Amino acid sequence: MAQATIRNVRYAGMATCVPKRVLSNIDDCPPQLRSARERVVRNIGIETRRICHEWQTFSDLAFDAAERLLADLKWERDEVDALIVITQSPDYLIPATAIIMQERLKLKQTTIAFDINLGCSAYAFGLHVLGSMISAGGIKKGLILVGDKSASVIEPLFSDAGTATALEFDPDAPPMYFDLNSDGSGQRAIMLPVGGHREPFGIQHTVPVKDEDGIWRSPTALVLDGPAVLSFSTQQVPPAVRNLLEYAGCSSEQIDYFIFHQANRMINETIRKKLGLPPEKVPSTLQDFGNTSGASLPVTMTVRIREALQEGKKKVLLSGFGIGLSWGSCIVDIDGAVFPELIES
Amino acid sequence: MDTLEQFVEKFSNAVDFQTDVVLTGDTNLKALPEWDSLAALGVIIMFDMEYSKAITGKDLVVCQTVADVYKLAA
Repeated sequence: MAQATIRNVRYAGMATCVPKRVLSNIDDCPPQLRSARERVVRNIGIETRRICHEWQTFSDLAFDAAERLLADLKWERDEVDALIVITQSPDYLIPATAIIMQERLKLKQTTIAFDINLGCSAYAFGLHVLGSMISAGGIKKGLILVGDKSASVIEPLFSDAGTATALEFDPDAPPMYFDLNSDGSGQRAIMLPVGGHREPFGIQHTVPVKDEDGIWRSPTALVLDGPAVLSFSTQQVPPAVRNLLEYAGCSSEQIDYFIFHQANRMINETIRKKLGLPPEKVPSTLQDFGNTSGASLPVTMTVRIREALQEGKKKVLLSGFGIGLSWGSCIVDIDGAVFPELIES
Repeated sequence: MDTLEQFVEKFSNAVDFQTDVVLTGDTNLKALPEWDSLAALGVIIMFDMEYSKAITGKDLVVCQTVADVYKLAA
């Protein structure tokens, strides 16, 4: 359990961009599968999702979010000292999407730019990495671009989004508290097994293979062990949140909002009930935006509590969990930050 | 500890059957069209919240009948 406190860093703002294209898990499902799909939707709580156009990438969404955020913050591009991209949907296998975005956003060449490969747990890790860099000195302002293009990878769970978050050096900023964890023994719970260097794509991967349930699957398809992910999430996240609250010397009553990764309704409701949290403190975007991977925390903040976050100081607990397995939570005080309305691209 | 009848009611809610199904301890799980990964998610949560037991998908895969699942709650 890695716990950390970051000082002198202010959460300056955040913008979210989703594709205009809406997919309905019911209406866009073939009629012969609709009855079974209705049962799935009833349980996972996801009715519609956003899906990119074929030509559109995660970085296109993140670019629009970053442009809007920079404009609303009134930051000069030369002020951005660091740009971190956290995605599992990079533009190319190499080079890093962050470096491509440095050029596209017209940032200076002295900007530090690199990618981090994390999914649903991304947000707290991103805040921790950039926050640590700023807290260490030298870097005054930085951006984190988080999100994925995953709606086309597997249905009916995933949805596309790109987000931009701004942090800046501020000696008067209240501390941020973190609790970050990893468990590689669960690496096969969510996995794209083919196409990396361990198992490069070959002609044999074009042939479907019958799995242990007798279902023919493409070897290149995403492997998702739902029960394993659910067990992990509902067993690990509640104690991690309690540990973080204790570490920060904070009661759950002092937290204005608990923003959890939007996994599915069964997982999210179990976590909420185990922590004894009232629904009004735990906003959700599952129904309309599905599981947007690492972007789901920003999506939920923008769509559900954007106005509240601009009304005055709010203490929020942010908690992401999933592929890796990896889970990370943080407590952040948000005061006077910029939150543009949802961008649809 | 719940009786088998009490367990069956909770089990039925957790699986979320599309149509009314009469379940007994001897009901063969593989004969139930809804006995799928979604059902497994519901049953794992039900065990966690109702019986404070952390079971896994692998525990459920080896169960043949409803009574086998009931035994996991013991």
